[in-house]
Amino acid sequence: MGRELSDRILSVEHVSKSFPGVKALDDVSLEVGRGVVHGIVGENGAGKSTLMKILSGVYTKDSGTVEFDGQRVERTTPMESLRRGLSIIYQEFSLISSMTVGENIFLGRFREAGGMKGTHQKAGELLGQIGSSISTHKLVSELSTSEKQMVEIAKALSFESKLIIMDEPSSSLTEEELAKLGALIRQMREKGISILYISHKLDEIFEYCDVVTIMRDGHVIDTRPVSELDRGEMVGMMVGRTIENEYPERPRAVGEPLMRVEHLTTGKLKDISFTLNRGEILGFVGLVGAGRTEIVRAIYGADKVKRKEVRIEGKSLKITSPRDGKRCGMALVPEDRKQQGLVLPFSVESNISMANLEKVKRGIFLSPDKERKMAEENIDSLLIKTPSPTAAIVNLSGGNQQKCIIARWLETEPKIFIMDEPTRGIDVGAKYEIYMLMKKAVEAGSSIILISSELPEVLHMSNRVLTIADGRITGEFDPEKVSAQEIMNRAIG
Amino acid sequence: MDAGKRIGNFVKDNLVLVTIMILVLVTAVLEPKFLTIANMGNLMNQFGPLSFVALGMTLAIIGGFIDLSVAGIVSLSAVFTLSMIDVLGQFGALLAGLLAGALLGLINAGVVVSCGALTQAKALFITYGLSAVFSASALLYTDGATQHMSHLENRTDLFQAIGSGRMGFVPVSFLLFVVIMALLHLFLIRTQTGREICLGGANITAAQLAGIPVKRRIALVFTLSGVLSAFGAIVLFSRITTASPLLGANYETNAILAVVVGGTSLSGGRGSVIRTMLGVMLVILLSNCLNLLGVSTYLQSVLKGAVLIIAIWIDRRRVK
Amino acid sequence: MSVVRKVVREIEKRKALTAILLMLFIMVFFDTRFYTAYNLLDMLNSAAILEMLAFGVTLVIICGGCDFSIGAMMSLSGIITIKLMDHMPLGFAICAAIACGALAGFVNGFFVVKQKTEPFIITLGMGMLLKGIAQQITDAHPVPAKNLTFMKIANGKVLFGIPNLIIIMVVMLLVFYYILRYTSFGRNCYAVGGDYNVATQSGIRAERIKWSAFVICGAMAAFCGVLLSSRLNTGSSIYGDSTALSVNCGCVVGGTSFAGGVGGVPQSFIGLLAIQLLENCMNMLGISAYVQQVCEGIIILLILWFDNYAQKRKEEAV
Repeated sequence: MGRELSDRILSVEHVSKSFPGVKALDDVSLEVGRGVVHGIVGENGAGKSTLMKILSGVYTKDSGTVEFDGQRVERTTPMESLRRGLSIIYQEFSLISSMTVGENIFLGRFREAGGMKGTHQKAGELLGQIGSSISTHKLVSELSTSEKQMVEIAKALSFESKLIIMDEPSSSLTEEELAKLGALIRQMREKGISILYISHKLDEIFEYCDVVTIMRDGHVIDTRPVSELDRGEMVGMMVGRTIENEYPERPRAVGEPLMRVEHLTTGKLKDISFTLNRGEILGFVGLVGAGRTEIVRAIYGADKVKRKEVRIEGKSLKITSPRDGKRCGMALVPEDRKQQGLVLPFSVESNISMANLEKVKRGIFLSPDKERKMAEENIDSLLIKTPSPTAAIVNLSGGNQQKCIIARWLETEPKIFIMDEPTRGIDVGAKYEIYMLMKKAVEAGSSIILISSELPEVLHMSNRVLTIADGRITGEFDPEKVSAQEIMNRAIG
Repeated sequence: MDAGKRIGNFVKDNLVLVTIMILVLVTAVLEPKFLTIANMGNLMNQFGPLSFVALGMTLAIIGGFIDLSVAGIVSLSAVFTLSMIDVLGQFGALLAGLLAGALLGLINAGVVVSCGALTQAKALFITYGLSAVFSASALLYTDGATQHMSHLENRTDLFQAIGSGRMGFVPVSFLLFVVIMALLHLFLIRTQTGREICLGGANITAAQLAGIPVKRRIALVFTLSGVLSAFGAIVLFSRITTASPLLGANYETNAILAVVVGGTSLSGGRGSVIRTMLGVMLVILLSNCLNLLGVSTYLQSVLKGAVLIIAIWIDRRRVK
Repeated sequence: MSVVRKVVREIEKRKALTAILLMLFIMVFFDTRFYTAYNLLDMLNSAAILEMLAFGVTLVIICGGCDFSIGAMMSLSGIITIKLMDHMPLGFAICAAIACGALAGFVNGFFVVKQKTEPFIITLGMGMLLKGIAQQITDAHPVPAKNLTFMKIANGKVLFGIPNLIIIMVVMLLVFYYILRYTSFGRNCYAVGGDYNVATQSGIRAERIKWSAFVICGAMAAFCGVLLSSRLNTGSSIYGDSTALSVNCGCVVGGTSFAGGVGGVPQSFIGLLAIQLLENCMNMLGISAYVQQVCEGIIILLILWFDNYAQKRKEEAV
């Protein structure tokens, strides 16, 4: 019994966590052994990062137990977790870029580290241990991604961590840097440090991990030694089977080409070219950060570009601002509903009318009657649940807020409807209604570009799918003919 | 619901009105002549220059910014307009003064937009810096000297009418204030451009993504604020018949005070010029009341500072 | 990288120093009086108080704030000292004035940290309030000091004929430099200004650090007020009207950004020195006071413009 205890560094039992409208984790159980590299795989939104944030103390769990190093952990803070020996290396590093490497490693522990001199000396030693020769006096802003990772790892070691959680550690690393990371992981395992390796990239899971846990939709699907699994099986479990009636029947209204985008290039995107057809739903599949949002924002005129050619119905157009985009018949349902979509202090009706103020004018003045009528029509036709058109939009549920944004754009009768994560954080019923709206829109002659982190959603709704990885289009598929595994494989890059 | 709670809620929702009522009562007790028609005229007269500057500030704050350059604009446009009377005649000078205000406002907007200081916090510094430039330019323009209307050769009856004329017992400046306020209210509530300013003030990203030309709206907001400040300056020097290059000092804080006390939120998008009228009224009544109580002007400015800080505090709590 | 580009980058990094060198160079051709030990020492002496104000402000700016109440605080504390001097020992009077400064800083900090108010607007309001108090106490008249010892603090020369003010400034420079560079508190200031969330997550008590910075800045402003009234032998409510803007911006000239987390006391020292030098040069060249004010305003504006533009470029990097 005692032996078994010491074999486990972390055990998570029946942990659940809900956010308004979504169950992010549902009865998750997980055990990590000492000195084991434990992989966690799953699609975007599978619950990996929520789990991680509960472990570190950024979120508190709703129910269940967490035991770390033989001790029950109830409420904790990121700093307490660190001191207990649990470090997390986030994808977007927790480093202060205006400070030096050494000070970042001992951030908040200036006195413990023995002042400036001690800080740099100890930091240098730690970096030396992991075979890095970064000067501790360099500013973090001057470092490459892989160097920043080294600093994070050194920081984790400085706490004598027993468990290090790495969130997508390989994103934006070169081959060479990746090999270095691999060696480092093995080195840490030999020292008896456990590692929780969270990644989309299955090759790495097979290379580095001893055990892997597959998550989907807030559930743990399975935990198995890596040697017992093959790639196909793993992807199968990640994607999962979906219940058919979650989605309406796929719309089939594809017509002639409508928009042609050529040579779209920015700092992140590399020469993107594609065509969108009339009445088509075109799905963009890729990991978070692959460049999906950047593509649509650039087309819409929201971001600056190095090069871009957009032709709609054969006409070459110059789109340098969202206003231009709107004038050319585009509509954007943005990724971040609250920050980019809604004007929260305002009413439902003014959020709906805000892109259509010309339509609610009588003479030179806005007509409250027309505005009310526009809102009421949309509330009825889109089944928006609100106490009244004048209610503050902040009081509506996520799904209804999203419907208001869609209503805003439907009123402009767009030719091209860009939807970036239209169903994020929305409950199942409202999702179905949004799918129906999409279907109606294309059947009425609009085209849709759909970006979603939920693979089944894209696969069920789209007529065509483009996979995007590292700012490039890596493939084009017909979702009816190709399996989810194949598409996922290509999107992973 | 019990009555106590209901009264409490009413007070909370109509803090400004309740305070105004209390101040009226206190003043009426202290000074029985307070509630006479003659005194009403005096009270309206006190709306004066500050009320116009406050209207401009309201626009800026609703548009998501705080225009600290109004102090400089008031000084500069006052000395400029007065000096133009002898050159362009009084109508020409009035027009030139308002145009100068518009131009200064445009400079504001130009600097703010060109360096991308599109958040309230960043733009604050810029407009404050511009205020310093405008104020110094006013000093440079007059070489530090105060100008007097009585030294002018051309007629100045237009300015006299604006500054201290009355129609019946109602001062002309108050009438102008009411007309401009009504127009601005209509503009903000019932025109597309006005609505776009409000939307941009509340969430500039969302407004931009919805196709609203936010930069042009910002330019408009600052321009209007500049014109209104210039008009305030004209009312001011017409009334006191002199224009000193330091005329505008502290106008920005007093204007912010009136706007925030009136209940327009510093977080942008929400508020109205009518609230600002109440805010100005409150400030006037407060100083009336304090004058009657024999409180020195300096202590009054201390109290105003304290009221501003408390009003900001209340506003923050409401947002949270 | 070619040598030219390296030089350009170095100049970009050290704008203030380059400006100082440029001005010194230009002055060679103009006025011989400029390069007298007397003028240079006098300039440093008159810059000393502004420099010390900047040290406190630097602390606040590094934490991601700013303080525009320092000017009024400075004038108020001088008045308090002179008024209290007649009723109690000089030392107590000075301490009381400094305590008032710390209190004002405490209130500033409360609003910024606890109420998340824009530091600019709250410190501006605080400045207005403090100025009102100063006017109320003095009835807007200057108050003369009658104590000779008090006068000697800022006007005497205790060591080797070097003015006391310069010595005090150098000591303060070293103290603040040490605090920011070699103490836990100082380093945490950089962390808090650099990234508030990361700092909090690393167990730094960000609220307390930022709050303390405001308190120290207020106390420092009050201390400078004591020195100023000692130097001029009077206290007046009109001192410090335009000080806040030039000190805050002087720090930015030196390389302390309003974005927070970068800069330091030596940088601010150089930045303010550049502004003082510019004033001195313009005086020497016989440029009128009003033209000087306009020039200073435009220069400050340019600095602000570049500070913002650099941030914008960084965010938009295509």
